[in-house]
Amino acid sequence: MKEEKKYWNPAVETLPRERLVQIELKRFRELLRWSQENSPFYKKKFHGIEPEDIRTLEDVSKVPLTEKDELREAQVGKEPYLYGDLLAVPPERLSVYHQTSGTTGKPVYIPDTYESWQWVVEVWCYILYGAGFRPTDRVFLPFVYNVYIAFWQGHYAAEKLGCEVVPGGGLETKARIQKMMEVKATGLMNTPTYGLHMLEVAKEMGIDPKRDLTIKKMICAGEPMPEPTRLRLEEGWGADVFDHLGGTEPGGWAGMCTEKKGMHVIEPHFLLEMIDLETMSKPIPPGVKGVAVITSLCRRSIPLIRFNLKDMMMVRDDPCPCGRTSVRVDQVGGRVDDLRKIRGVFFSPSVVEEVIRGQFPEVVEFETILTQEGIMPVLTLRVEMEPSLAESQQKELRKVIREKLKIRTNLTFEIESVKPGGLPRYTLKSARFKDSTKK
Amino acid sequence: MEYDLKAMDLEIKAIEERTKKLKELGKEFVAVERNADSILTFVYLLKRNISDLVE
Repeated sequence: MKEEKKYWNPAVETLPRERLVQIELKRFRELLRWSQENSPFYKKKFHGIEPEDIRTLEDVSKVPLTEKDELREAQVGKEPYLYGDLLAVPPERLSVYHQTSGTTGKPVYIPDTYESWQWVVEVWCYILYGAGFRPTDRVFLPFVYNVYIAFWQGHYAAEKLGCEVVPGGGLETKARIQKMMEVKATGLMNTPTYGLHMLEVAKEMGIDPKRDLTIKKMICAGEPMPEPTRLRLEEGWGADVFDHLGGTEPGGWAGMCTEKKGMHVIEPHFLLEMIDLETMSKPIPPGVKGVAVITSLCRRSIPLIRFNLKDMMMVRDDPCPCGRTSVRVDQVGGRVDDLRKIRGVFFSPSVVEEVIRGQFPEVVEFETILTQEGIMPVLTLRVEMEPSLAESQQKELRKVIREKLKIRTNLTFEIESVKPGGLPRYTLKSARFKDSTKK
Repeated sequence: MEYDLKAMDLEIKAIEERTKKLKELGKEFVAVERNADSILTFVYLLKRNISDLVE
């Protein structure tokens, strides 16, 4: 019998760390030079920096960070239309268009040449293969195929890997569930929120995904997935659920292997750095929570150099039993943009998800709202509970949720029940934190 | 695991050379030029995956 191959690329994935870093530094220098020569934005931004002077990771850390606002400003009103000063290739070489969701402002437009897009897809092959996707899988994508990058990469990577890809784009949720059952899909790609939503809809249809469907593996993207949410998905679907890290600007850049302990950075295609949250510049060691900074080392259409992801993460320093030598990260604490100081306490909305998904299976959906009463900030958690719960049970549950949140965050929450179906459902990025104090 | 990165690298370079030659020969044929470009894209990925590891 043919031996099962463990890695997408055994040479790269088991390369000694020193060699990985060497390659990353070489690619960093090449990318920097390419950017200075071809992108007006980087030519100006990195004026005076000599790529050949960058010999160590410490040297890299002296190169200025790139912020999302800068990318936006480099495009608005600049030629060539849409991409402006960021573009580093002739426009006629472009073949793929994507854009960011614009959640934090005007969208950033990210095009790719055929070559850079195939590189994005290649990186996703590492992610999918690491999560155990194989040519024997029939992969269903319940994803709205549109301008957002989301699962486009997953689609093409699954195809390249040899899986049979079933595009479930133009269907509503019930039809998607029926189609998955009909084709006996074994793999699935969705946001964590939509994975949970499909469980809810399947239940309404009298379908138990664990019993009636054949999904064996699921890969999630689009939003942070705290461990309790991942476990809830595994339980509901009876499948192995894997997380990945990525975005429109860098593409997918890390994925969970079958050990499910942190996410492997796809090195040496990416260089990950961690910086201190307070100074937003000082490098921090493994085991310390900080902010992730990423460089996409081989994407030339719109280079991304030392991009501040504004995601709080922590690098692990224990070796992974899977044998991969790449750095592993855990997402801890959500987005820097969502971090609030409330009554002197740092609050991250992702903690609410950890508590709710980890301890309250009766809660179907929730959202956190920050308001202001006079000078006092008020946190309200709106919860939608299982319709079968009596009011007395709901009342007791609200009390327990309030206590658990108090213990975890040191903040007092107002807890409100919402009628079934009263809270929004999301197919792509969820927005469960609303800050009404923001002008 | 047994593999020979240097031998793979040589083959990748040979494919690159031959594809460039094909592209030149077929420059009047869009079908040849564009398909040759596609091959060169995957050569680029093979170089990132293999050739860059050869010291």
